[in-house]
Amino acid sequence: MPQLYKSSLFYTILVGLIAWACVNPITDFVQVDSTSFTTIEADISDDAALSKVRLTSSSNRLTSQFSLPISKATVSVTDQNGVKTTFTEGIPTGTYYPSAGFKGAVGSSYKLAVKLLTGQTYESAVETMKAVPEIENLITRFETLEQYPKVDVRRAGFSVYLDFKDFQSEGDFYLWNWKHFEKIRLCATCTDGGRYDFKKLDCVQPRFPTDAILNYMCDGNCWDISTNNDLNVFSDVLTNGQRVVGRQVARIPFDNWTPYYFRLEQRSITRSAFDFYQSLISQIQSSGSLFDVPAETRFSLNIKSLTNPAEKVIGIFNVFSVRKKIFIVDRSKNIPIGELPIIPIIPGETYACPPGSVGCQDKVPCIESNTRTKITPEGWVF
Amino acid sequence: MIKLLPRVFCLGLLFVLSYQSIAQTTSLPAIFGKVIDASTGEPLKGADISVDFKKSGVTTDTSGNYKVHVPYGEWVIKVSYVGYNPYRTKIYIKANTELNVQLNNVTKQLEEVIVSSAATKRDIQTPSLGVTVLSLKGIKKLPTMMGEVDVIRSLQSLPGVSSVGEGANGLNIRGSNVDQNLIYIDDTPIFNPTHMFGLFSVFASDAIRDLELYKGGVPSRFGGRAASVLDIKMIEPNTDKFKMQGGIGLISNRVMAEIPIIKEKLSVLVAGRLSVNDFMFKWFAPDYLKNLRANFSDVATKIYYRPNTKNTISLSSYLSHDYYRVDSLFSIENVVAKQTSFNYGHTNFAAHWNHYFSPKLNMMVSGSLTDYSTKTFAPDSVNTIDLKSSILYRNLTTSFDYQPKENHKMNFGITATRYDINPGTLNEGVISRVSTVKIPDEQSYELALFADDEWTLSPKFTLQAGLRYSHYYRMGAGSENVYAPGQMPSLNTVLRKNTYADGEVMASYGGFEPRVTMKYSLAENTTMKFGYNRQQQFFQLLSNNTTPLPTSRWKTADNFIKPQQSDFFSLGLFKTFNENVFEASLETYYRDVANTLDFVSGANLQLNPNIETQLISGKSKAYGMELMVQKKKGEVSGWVSYTYARAFNQMIGEFPEVQAINGGEWFATNYDKPHTLNMMLNIQPTTHHSFSFTFAYNTGRPFSSPSGSYEIGGKKFPVFAERNNDRVRDYHRLDFSWTINNPSMKKQRWEGSWVFTIYNLYGRQNPYSVFFKSTKAGLRAYELSVFASPFISLTYNFKFL
Repeated sequence: MPQLYKSSLFYTILVGLIAWACVNPITDFVQVDSTSFTTIEADISDDAALSKVRLTSSSNRLTSQFSLPISKATVSVTDQNGVKTTFTEGIPTGTYYPSAGFKGAVGSSYKLAVKLLTGQTYESAVETMKAVPEIENLITRFETLEQYPKVDVRRAGFSVYLDFKDFQSEGDFYLWNWKHFEKIRLCATCTDGGRYDFKKLDCVQPRFPTDAILNYMCDGNCWDISTNNDLNVFSDVLTNGQRVVGRQVARIPFDNWTPYYFRLEQRSITRSAFDFYQSLISQIQSSGSLFDVPAETRFSLNIKSLTNPAEKVIGIFNVFSVRKKIFIVDRSKNIPIGELPIIPIIPGETYACPPGSVGCQDKVPCIESNTRTKITPEGWVF
Repeated sequence: MIKLLPRVFCLGLLFVLSYQSIAQTTSLPAIFGKVIDASTGEPLKGADISVDFKKSGVTTDTSGNYKVHVPYGEWVIKVSYVGYNPYRTKIYIKANTELNVQLNNVTKQLEEVIVSSAATKRDIQTPSLGVTVLSLKGIKKLPTMMGEVDVIRSLQSLPGVSSVGEGANGLNIRGSNVDQNLIYIDDTPIFNPTHMFGLFSVFASDAIRDLELYKGGVPSRFGGRAASVLDIKMIEPNTDKFKMQGGIGLISNRVMAEIPIIKEKLSVLVAGRLSVNDFMFKWFAPDYLKNLRANFSDVATKIYYRPNTKNTISLSSYLSHDYYRVDSLFSIENVVAKQTSFNYGHTNFAAHWNHYFSPKLNMMVSGSLTDYSTKTFAPDSVNTIDLKSSILYRNLTTSFDYQPKENHKMNFGITATRYDINPGTLNEGVISRVSTVKIPDEQSYELALFADDEWTLSPKFTLQAGLRYSHYYRMGAGSENVYAPGQMPSLNTVLRKNTYADGEVMASYGGFEPRVTMKYSLAENTTMKFGYNRQQQFFQLLSNNTTPLPTSRWKTADNFIKPQQSDFFSLGLFKTFNENVFEASLETYYRDVANTLDFVSGANLQLNPNIETQLISGKSKAYGMELMVQKKKGEVSGWVSYTYARAFNQMIGEFPEVQAINGGEWFATNYDKPHTLNMMLNIQPTTHHSFSFTFAYNTGRPFSSPSGSYEIGGKKFPVFAERNNDRVRDYHRLDFSWTINNPSMKKQRWEGSWVFTIYNLYGRQNPYSVFFKSTKAGLRAYELSVFASPFISLTYNFKFL
């Protein structure tokens, strides 16, 4: 049972006992090898909005921000009845979407086929969509993590625990994601004396930077989106058919008294996807202990190249069903005496047009991105 | 200051006077006397007399006489002579004073053996090669970590012995995996040689007499492991006199007593060690670690009975125990638990009967038992966990030593071992939401016949030839999957299960293991040796962690896991200089191992009943050269060693698309560290105190470096395409210790000593590993250092004689 314990357990003991052990970032890390691989991330879900296929060429740099999208490929998914759904490229490039109305169904099996412009073809194993139980209950508890100093926002917060009932069938695998929407008043901050350019929709730096910071109000509703940074998966191998109680899924910072919008997503994933995520967890989440397992990318786990069977393909054909639940966490109750929120202070002044000025703009638009939206989140009640 | 000035002045004056050879005319008092060789009584001509650490210019004449004038007062006199241990004394001069000195010849001094390659130590008797003997007295001189005398750590200052890194569990000896080394304490095996996950070794130092490390020429009486043997012997308690010793340290307290019950017939040894860490967590740990508990203990006992001169009987036991408790947050994978505790330990017993038939023939009969058990539990939650695993080892051995002639010795015997393994039982008989899982028990036998013959064919040539035949049986009751032919073993390819009844043979393997070493004297003090060994291993550790966890699973061979087989060649050159004061050795070796194990990418070893689906079987090879120069006697002793060593694996199974690491190419093992330099220096100016320094350098160990990065679910991950393709930074460290024996300097039954140690003197942050984390700014590389700053400790030891 070597992998039985999370290695972090041992690491904690070691760090606890030997306070002089340490972890240092390597600032001048140099790669000894640089290689790109075809990367296929294919999601088929019973939530129509979540089915998509993304094709990229992995970056050969560890620190590079972007992977190169693979455009103009032929992508399709065939179900157990031979019904073929073609995915067409949309925005951003390299991302392929099914025709409107396509939705995966629990119990159905799917197979992915991809053909690149260069002629390489890839095919996945057949994966069957499993049902997912409802999220029954969510418990939040105020807890402090004493490893952080009092001024650190990570110290005090609400741990979020989940209850659900596992299905009687064996071999259920779960993955949780969460999203938090924070309504914002300020949509842009220009530092170093910069001003907002309403044509470029970005800050413009002056020739001679100053210390001035200007904040700009949003021109309408706008929300910042934050998501889980860590992967969280679970297998029912040891608790099949049981009610799983107290699984920690998130931690909410105590950075204000205000209610906290929290959207939890519970996915039922396949064994291949579980194995894939598990390997990612061991590579970058539970690494850094004395007992690390070998860092190895699981190439070609359920997607293989037909043209060159020896080709190492990165990625996963992820077939899952999903349930979502929205919770509003009351951050003003059950706080121990003496605990105060660490409310972030936004430095600088808020820009406002001088009274009577003509054609002056002082409110900036809310630009859609992965971390920001102007669309009112589902279940928003404030 | 006032006192000091005249003395400095006087000293200056003294030298002026003596250099001008007019000392005789002075009216200052004189120290005079004769310097002789302590053993022969011969006068020593030309011995230097120093006063207050400065040369006086005075030397002894042909009769060994000297005379030196000093002002009134207190002086330190040192008498030194090349090849002899110097003599120092503090003397108060009120009038002319006679000081006669006997100096000890270094070459005739008894060796303060710290380490000895038995090759030269027992030069005439044995041709053994790659064998190192360490006395505990010697090990105690080496600087320690946190004041704990540590066998495993001390061994790592020897050439050819290393580990994955500081805090790692187990040893890698000449490119061996940790499970390829057989560790015996009084003939009972140790499966996990460390406490606290690798921080301290399990052997209570007070109970140990000496250690023999067989890196190469393993005699045929040892078997069952593919690489080396560490044979630790416990003290035989003194039958005449009560003795007690112990120590108080930062990590643990120790006590050992030798108690004669019937004079010259029956005596008992009891030694114990108990860790005292809990207070550190309670007092010093941050709040989140205050509930952490980490304790360990060892107890060794030995009863020694000698009814008459023909028979001796000894019963020994060795118990070790570890207990930990950690707070929530961390739990067993796929189980929700608030707090996890676990304990593990050895329970070892051995009985030995030695019978002397004649001066030429004696017999030893021994029975031994080792029970290594681990338990992981979380009792106070709805998700109760109670996970147990154990290994029960039982052995019977009978062997004979026969010496028909002075130049001819034999050792032969028969040995039988039974293994009973419980690989893992979760929640048996426990009410919990977490299910019950039972991995079937494994039973097996390992039987062997062995014989070693050592024959001095000529004064120059000695041959030691041995042969071992081992046979292994994997026994029922049990079951085994049958997989579809031509398909990779996996849950989808199981055709059926073969079941075996109790006592039925499920699998068996056997083979001869020749062991040969030979010695040829090239010159009086120079010998050359050659050795060849074959060894088989039927019992292995299944772990894919950088260093194995204490709870890692051991598994005996079956139809899927073939026994490991190693072929080992070595060639050595040994030379002593200056009547054994200096010893130099050069040893080279090459090892080839078949059927070593590794695991498929992302292997799941957790309570897995079909472990064969996760394995890859492959080959290992290791080669190297070890160069060592030692100064074994004198005021300053020590050694310097340089090792060039490589260790590689090639892992490719029948289904390479899954069963291959690094595309089936050879890759460096986690412990492949090509260059190693070790230095040890011990300075013992008087019997009351000594200083030691150790320095260690080695090339950084390999790690897997990414080839780039990719994005999944909007998050970035590194691409690891090759195993162990880069290295962490080089390792180096200097340690220091200062031992003060009997500070009162009075002869008394209670004798105390203090050991002051600084580990990692210059505080280098030696990397253990390099790993990668995802941050908001992208992927970053990090380095983990285990002992990243100097660590100072003070230990008090005592002896009651």
